[in-house]
Amino acid sequence: MSPDSQQDFALAFLSILFEGAPFILLGTLISGFIDIYLPAGTMERFLPKRRNLAIVMSGLLGAVFPVCECAVVPVIRRLVKKGLPVSCGITYMLAAPIVNPITALSTWKAFQGQGAAMMTCSRMLLGFLIAVSVGLVVSRLSLANVLREKILRSLNEPEKSDGHHHCGHNHHHDHQDGCCDHKTHDHDCDHNHDAAGNDRLVAAFRSALKDFVDVGVYFAIGVSITALFNTGIAPGAAWLDTLAGNQVAAPAALMTLAFILSLCSTSDAFIAATLDKFSWGAKLAFLTFGPMMDVKLLFLYQTVMRKRFIAALALALFLVIGCISTFWQHLIVQAK
Amino acid sequence: MNPRLRHILFSLAVLVWSAALIYFYASGRITKYLAPDFRPIAFAGGLGLAVMGMFNLLTSGQRADCLHDHGGGDAHDHEAGDIHPLAAFLLMVLPIGLSVAWTKDEYSPAALARKGLYDSPSQMGNAFMSTVMPPLTREMIEQGHRKTDDGYHQFNLMELFFATGDREMQSLIDGMKVETEGRWIDEKTRNPNGTRKRLYRLFITCCAADSRAIPIVLEFNGPPPELPENGWAKVAGTMRFPLEEGVLQPVLVCDRADSAEPPYEESFLRR
Repeated sequence: MSPDSQQDFALAFLSILFEGAPFILLGTLISGFIDIYLPAGTMERFLPKRRNLAIVMSGLLGAVFPVCECAVVPVIRRLVKKGLPVSCGITYMLAAPIVNPITALSTWKAFQGQGAAMMTCSRMLLGFLIAVSVGLVVSRLSLANVLREKILRSLNEPEKSDGHHHCGHNHHHDHQDGCCDHKTHDHDCDHNHDAAGNDRLVAAFRSALKDFVDVGVYFAIGVSITALFNTGIAPGAAWLDTLAGNQVAAPAALMTLAFILSLCSTSDAFIAATLDKFSWGAKLAFLTFGPMMDVKLLFLYQTVMRKRFIAALALALFLVIGCISTFWQHLIVQAK
Repeated sequence: MNPRLRHILFSLAVLVWSAALIYFYASGRITKYLAPDFRPIAFAGGLGLAVMGMFNLLTSGQRADCLHDHGGGDAHDHEAGDIHPLAAFLLMVLPIGLSVAWTKDEYSPAALARKGLYDSPSQMGNAFMSTVMPPLTREMIEQGHRKTDDGYHQFNLMELFFATGDREMQSLIDGMKVETEGRWIDEKTRNPNGTRKRLYRLFITCCAADSRAIPIVLEFNGPPPELPENGWAKVAGTMRFPLEEGVLQPVLVCDRADSAEPPYEESFLRR
């Protein structure tokens, strides 16, 4: 890289990083504390009994329990095993990274001067509608077509006893370091350790730290790639620019980019806002598709869902989000 | 990896990010990177990261318990990540470290060209223009632009640039004696006699990555004066909007050009 390219990369990289890092911190602190302090079963209590209504409500739960896409998959895995309807779980999983206050705030801030209110509302609405639609479809499918065999079996089998008393008693067991190590003895007990309250604070901060690093790594990679394209250093930058003007190719290109970059929904708007050669609709596609399907999520989803279902979901999301974003862009241009 | 070492590595990575944010804010260099309303957020983020990093560093060896229940089969690890901790540490620290070492707080001419330095005003998006242009009238021009002692109206560069796309404004300003300031750079297009330079400023919406160059052409009667490349200059002359190769260009026919001190806010801002 020439000295000129180095200085260009550095300026673009640092400016996007400085802009996005505080929002990642906010998101990971909240998800870290939710991870540690939120008792299991709290989310189910928010859901109505009627199936369709419960799916719709699941699409809004992110507003109360804001988590990004990295954190949501383990949560859903746990909740589904504990009896949350799969359709509700998948709806929450797809909607929560988008329909949550941190993502709304970061999108609004990132798009200042570029129709921030319209972009924020469109993103929330589209994310919600897509997630609920997927939930409604899943509710009509056999679970065998959706869930991995292992998860399906665990739903059908009564929980095994591992010799622990699961009755909210005091017990001491192996704590190696960090959070208590249950890897060798899965159980479903209400812990009541003797640990002091500040243990939990340490655990919450550790969870937040881990989330921040997980997200920060992908963010740093994403910002690096964006900075290379933004300043024209990347070899394909000129080619990408030629796609920007194409109504169909532009959303497809940005959704592919979102899939590869695997950005966190709390910070991806700062990347999208710098793609100034792309249309508003293409950016909307980027911001809606990315939190629902990317390389990192592909691996996470496989811990819960069947590969064939994930492939079908990815294709459907790509087509539907691409079409709606293009149509929405067209409507807005017409209205102007 | 040893969990304590993992905590220490992650805490250090977070502290590196925190140090960069706080340093750039405290040194004032952040003005080159972020629009004003993002600067305090970046500083608060830097402080928050410092607290999180220090807390985790100081408690890295401490046992901690989440105290909640987990379903059967749940691996119950709040700390297991996707990537090896050492790789995660390097991926977080290397790009920011290199960027801090490489940055000169400004773009090279090649990047500026990509950001519109040589674009004509008509190639800028309408939405972009509508967000930044105040509604101007002849009265506002007369009242709103101070006159220098030698008779030039002081304009900011953006007004001169965008007047090219606004027939009413263009007719009002065409032929007017104006003074403006910006960064001095070579004119690489339509300059056969070498009598032209270009003056530009950056317009930042949120951060430097989304900035756009706002340029005008400077025309001299002979060779342009020798001023530092990409340095700040104050120029005065008569404003013209000639049609060149089918495109209207904002051209200032210069009477004088001198080096100038950079303004506190070097970039044009959203508001």
